[in-house]
Amino acid sequence: MAEFEKENLNELFERFVDSRSAGEAAEDIEKGEAILREYAAPEPSMKVLAKTKTMVAEALKQRKKRELRRAVYKVVAVSAVFFIVASIAVKVFERGPVGSEERLAAFVIPNAVWEGDDIAADDADIAVLTAEVNQIADELLALRLGDNGTNGQGGVYDAEMELIEINSDFWKG
Amino acid sequence: MAEKDLEQVIIGCRSGDERSFSELVDLYGRRCYGYFYRLTGNRVVSEDLLSELFVKLVEKIKSYRGGAFESWLFTIASNIFHDHLRAKQRQQKLLKGKREQLESKAADTGRDDVRFDRVQTQLEKLDSEVREVIMLRYYSELSFKEIAAMRGEPIGTTLSKVHRGLKKLRELME
Repeated sequence: MAEFEKENLNELFERFVDSRSAGEAAEDIEKGEAILREYAAPEPSMKVLAKTKTMVAEALKQRKKRELRRAVYKVVAVSAVFFIVASIAVKVFERGPVGSEERLAAFVIPNAVWEGDDIAADDADIAVLTAEVNQIADELLALRLGDNGTNGQGGVYDAEMELIEINSDFWKG
Repeated sequence: MAEKDLEQVIIGCRSGDERSFSELVDLYGRRCYGYFYRLTGNRVVSEDLLSELFVKLVEKIKSYRGGAFESWLFTIASNIFHDHLRAKQRQQKLLKGKREQLESKAADTGRDDVRFDRVQTQLEKLDSEVREVIMLRYYSELSFKEIAAMRGEPIGTTLSKVHRGLKKLRELME
């Protein structure tokens, strides 16, 4: 039974007014609704109901189309995300831990410096090298000016020998 | 109709079954049409609103989460009626310049039914909100408790509106 039929109007009104007024109010409602039943509203024609059903059928078709389209979009979106993630993963694994440019730069630096833990000693070697390069530069300048007290040929030879020696010492570590 | 049968119809509608929707139109079409007719007093408008309601149900049926189906259905019907009222008001504002012309036209077409329906004439003398609650109660067959919950107002307010309105209608009809 629906709530509508179970409802006791007297009891409902008694929550707000005395029992006599509640009875009168319930009667007013029952008589009022009886008028509405007596003067019933017109009913829709069969044609109107049929038209409504046709419109509903059309709306259902549209709904099904929309649902299908939405499902296709979902599959496409999920596939796209999958391919993007997969291609990124493949690139990451192909690249490996170190790039080729980094490997070349590391090759030029001597192993002793590269693997050495003694930073102070490495710095000192670089300072000595710089001082010796400066010295050679000074000697070459003096040779060019001809004021080192030699005949010129011997000076160039000495400078070359010194350069070879420094290079050899430095890269030995 | 038994509750179980209605449940089956609703399940069918949710899955997009055309025959279930057809049954739903047969079950509620007359009541909803009566509700719209008593609120608008116009057959043509009521027919349009009825179609609009069932087309909307196609989209909304999936959001029905159980409970009194009538409550859910008439909430949508009420919203459709209010949308119609708002659209009508907008139209009236836009065509204010041609008001007289429109009013005479409306009197010619829209109110033809009213002349033959005494109760409709008297109902139109009631406050619009009171008339709406009375029609909701009469056509949805919901209890006062359910109507109050649906409208978000205390049950005493709903009782008072329906009582006041029906008492006045009775006086007007005498």
